[in-house]
Amino acid sequence: MADQEQIDIDTLLDMPAPERSRTGRASALARLLHQDCTHLLELYRERESLLSDHTPAGDRIVSLSLSSPDLSSDEQVRLLHSALRKCLGLLECLILREEEEMGELEGEYETARKSVRDRLGHLLHSTKVLLETDEDVTPDHQCDEEVDGVVGTFGAKMWTYRVLLELTHWADSASQTLHVLHSEREGKEEEI
Amino acid sequence: MLSWFFCILLLGLRVTESQASGLAPPQQVRLDADKAAQKLSVTWEDGHASTFDVEILRTELMEIVLNETVGVTADQSTGKHQWNWTSPVPLECTSLSVKVRSRDGQDVSEWSSQQILPGLDLPDNAVAQMYPEGKTVPVGSDMTFCCIVEEGQQFGNLWYKTLQMNETMLSRRTYATTMTIREPSNPSGTNVVCSNEKNIMVTGAVVFVGYPPLPSDLVCETHDLISVDCQWTKGRNTYLFGKTRQTYYTLNGRNCTKAKNSNMHCGWEQWEGNWTLVARNPLGQFRLTDAAQLGHRVRPVAPVNLTTPEVYSWNASVGWHWNYNGYERLSLICQVQRTSHWNSSTQTYTGHGLTTVVLKDLQPDEEYSVKVRCGSQKNFWKWGEWSLPLSFQTKMDRPKAPDIWVWMDSDNLGRVLWKPLTKRESHGQVSGYEVTLWSPEENGQQTFTLPQSMYSHPINMTDRGSKVTVTARNPAGVSLPANIVIPRHLPDTEDTTISKVAFNGSGFPLSWVAQTNASCGYVVDWYNTSCTQDCSVEWTKVAADNTNTVVQSSNFFAGVRYTFSLYACSSESTVLLERWHGYMQELVPSQAVPRLSPNQEGSDVQLTWDQIPLEHQRGFILGYTVYLTNASHLTLLANITDPQLTNHTVRQLVLGSYKFTVKAYTAAGEDGGATVSISLDPYTYWLILELLVALGAMTCVLILITIACYRKRKWVKKAFYPEIPEPKLPGDWGITQGTLDVKPSPHSMVHIVEDPVWDSSKEALVSVPEEDEEGTGDEAADTDEPAVLRYYNQVVEEGSSSRGRPHASDSSASSTGSMDSGHTDVTYTGIQTSACSLAHFQPQPDASQCAGDGGYRPQMQSASCPEDPQAGPEEHLQPPVGSFGGYQPQCSWKQDSPEADGGLDQAYLGSPTSVTSSQFLLPHDTSSEEGKEHPSSASTWFHNLLTGKP
Repeated sequence: MADQEQIDIDTLLDMPAPERSRTGRASALARLLHQDCTHLLELYRERESLLSDHTPAGDRIVSLSLSSPDLSSDEQVRLLHSALRKCLGLLECLILREEEEMGELEGEYETARKSVRDRLGHLLHSTKVLLETDEDVTPDHQCDEEVDGVVGTFGAKMWTYRVLLELTHWADSASQTLHVLHSEREGKEEEI
Repeated sequence: MLSWFFCILLLGLRVTESQASGLAPPQQVRLDADKAAQKLSVTWEDGHASTFDVEILRTELMEIVLNETVGVTADQSTGKHQWNWTSPVPLECTSLSVKVRSRDGQDVSEWSSQQILPGLDLPDNAVAQMYPEGKTVPVGSDMTFCCIVEEGQQFGNLWYKTLQMNETMLSRRTYATTMTIREPSNPSGTNVVCSNEKNIMVTGAVVFVGYPPLPSDLVCETHDLISVDCQWTKGRNTYLFGKTRQTYYTLNGRNCTKAKNSNMHCGWEQWEGNWTLVARNPLGQFRLTDAAQLGHRVRPVAPVNLTTPEVYSWNASVGWHWNYNGYERLSLICQVQRTSHWNSSTQTYTGHGLTTVVLKDLQPDEEYSVKVRCGSQKNFWKWGEWSLPLSFQTKMDRPKAPDIWVWMDSDNLGRVLWKPLTKRESHGQVSGYEVTLWSPEENGQQTFTLPQSMYSHPINMTDRGSKVTVTARNPAGVSLPANIVIPRHLPDTEDTTISKVAFNGSGFPLSWVAQTNASCGYVVDWYNTSCTQDCSVEWTKVAADNTNTVVQSSNFFAGVRYTFSLYACSSESTVLLERWHGYMQELVPSQAVPRLSPNQEGSDVQLTWDQIPLEHQRGFILGYTVYLTNASHLTLLANITDPQLTNHTVRQLVLGSYKFTVKAYTAAGEDGGATVSISLDPYTYWLILELLVALGAMTCVLILITIACYRKRKWVKKAFYPEIPEPKLPGDWGITQGTLDVKPSPHSMVHIVEDPVWDSSKEALVSVPEEDEEGTGDEAADTDEPAVLRYYNQVVEEGSSSRGRPHASDSSASSTGSMDSGHTDVTYTGIQTSACSLAHFQPQPDASQCAGDGGYRPQMQSASCPEDPQAGPEEHLQPPVGSFGGYQPQCSWKQDSPEADGGLDQAYLGSPTSVTSSQFLLPHDTSSEEGKEHPSSASTWFHNLLTGKP
């Protein structure tokens, strides 16, 4: 299933497309990413025997607001792109820490984790295309335990949990924002 | 006052004793904590005691954790005492207070000053915490976890995974739970979580539960004759992962960085002879050792660069290289495994520094894949790794002779069959076949060239001894010829013994008596018995020294009858020896018996049917079962075990409708059955027929009786018509006039009425003796008969009768008249008409007188009497000319006695009063009168029959 989706996305990315299709493609990617993040979060909860109401304490790791009414669509996309870069950085750091803690495993969780990383990278490329600028698509986060506030093994797990929640949140935001953008641009093209 | 003094004295003495023991309390008590190990080290100074009481309390709640007397000697160098204690509860959980006192027997010192180990639940550390965190413990450990809730919050619950635990309060903010961990944790560890009063997770800890390493089977060897490579088995899973908890290995003190996951290898550049492997993880370590000489642990590397310098049809050479020069001097043993599409085999070769071998017994035009591995021939240790495979293809060679057979459809028509050559037999792509028909008598041959796709050729033979040769051709040449003498066509119907053969699970086992003429073996062919045209024929050949085989084929199907024929093969002939029929699996017939019909035979019903066609039998028909069908219920009437019998009679059925079902059965069971109905009709025709038969039988009986009567007519005549004796007339009528010797019956009297017109010429009524001499004079017999039977009436002449009374005086009238007279009463019964036989006694009447007028006349028989007494009987039968029909009184009456002559001249002569006789009443046939014969009637016929006259 995941492989099939990967093929579809790769095909989408390689296809030259007009503006409307680019927003649609990015919106679809964000929707898929949100599904993957949700799935990954479920796998993590299952692995760690965490109840769904065990919400870790702490503020948002990526604190950017897209809800401001003054932001244009392009600005929203730019903010979104920035947030996704931070998410990718957090995810890379998460993978690094988990592999250090548990070794390189090949379970369902690890496969889903890799899928999210790949899809997040694709989404960054898509949003960069939408912005039509030279935005960076590299991860925007340095693994620093002190900065992250990771204390102890359980603290690392809670940080991981928070990162996965953050990924799910931003994937959902990306899906909604890009869907709105796609709808707007589609409407404009029809008016033209 | 005095008492007060003693009391103070005693108290003073006791205080003096205490001070006099000399035990000073421990000084400079110090606490050192190893929180990771949950160990508390207590040190104090005291120069004298060796036994101390130690008391540990939880500071906040003043609960005693430990109160123990321990023996601790002072360190010689420092003079300090040290005592270690491992706390079951993490030392961070809450503050502990420790105090010590010296003890000498029952003497104790004062307690030392209380020392406090501060916990992390102090108000200045307000955050929530859980301990121990990130600890690695072996499976089965007892663990105590404590949760320090955040300052200002209330404790909620403790969870081990998703299991809620019971807690113990250690301090105002600290709660603990204790458990025995029985299962290893997953790679990320097991979570223990603490929640507040709102059930919100506030803190937690992770524990890693696993096992210490337990490797085994350490073996060290060399591949290059220089270095060492050690291997071992990982052993039990430790369930501990990651950089800090995974197992690390060292070999002779050197880290084995490559030994990870399942790759348990570790090496060194030089052979050392002794090796020690240490496996270590947070829970412990394990040590393995090995020792060996280099020459005993040589395991060659895999050969490289395999080549095939020479390749032929049936053999090839294979060469390779070694990566190490040392192998040139090493005595090697090598295995070469070759694999083709049909086979895989391994051959072994030896030699110093072996680098080339020759592969024999290869198949032509075959693709082979070879790989090589070697070992040290001397002090063999282990086979080395297989080389990479090398593929090559051998050259082609001429094909093998095909396996041929001849199948004769009829006496002259048949097919030459041959099996397609397999890849192993063709030795290359077959390009075609040649079929040659030989006729030794004509010393000629016919050759047909056929493409590679043909595997049969029709033949039309007239010579019995003809032979067939088939050859196959490929690019490398022509095969040797396959020869066979055409066998004679012998269908099943001919004089061939056919046995049954059963399938044994793998095939049909056939065995036979050895034949001396089977010089080139035997051939068993088989085909579907029910096949009639273009049948698929298979065959197998059996060596001459074998007398049995198991026929196997993937084309055998259940429910199909196969015919197996055994032929003896020689260079001169192919002779059919034996034939079998068999089923791979018998099934119930697929079709019911055809043409089932009932036939009523009286109260019986005969059922007849036909045999099931062979293709529908699907098994050997063992017999038939006949059922009476009543609704859906079947009642067995008969089980016919002779499969050739195709009829059955159900007997003694009452009138009504019947349904009969006939089922054929095989070893597999009965078929569905054929059902037929019949309604029995009444047996009308049979009753009629029986009636006719009975009538016929009665007729026959009557005929037989008649014949018997005819044959015994004399007896019958005697019994029923006894001969009336003729009156014996004296030789001279005139002389022997006398009284009639009549013996009157007591009940029958004859009254002679005197007639004045008596004609003496008239014959008198006379007694006639019976012709049968036996009856003559038999008075006793006569007495049984009525006396009247002994008399004949007198013959009445026509003239006299005409002269007498008119015709109105017929017999009845006469009788009436006689009765009226009341004088005579004469009754005649069954009087015979044999008057003619007495003709010679009759006077010669005038013929004209007999031919009187047509009025009533008495019996005319006298008129027919011959005039000439000498005339033959034929003449006597001539009726008188001009006689007329009508009733005629019997003319056979005769004068029996002279005395009667005078009185019998009237027309009623002989019956003076009345005459009762059926004979008299018989009508006279006019036509007979007109003819030449005497009148003939049934009575006459019967009379003649009885008298034997024609």
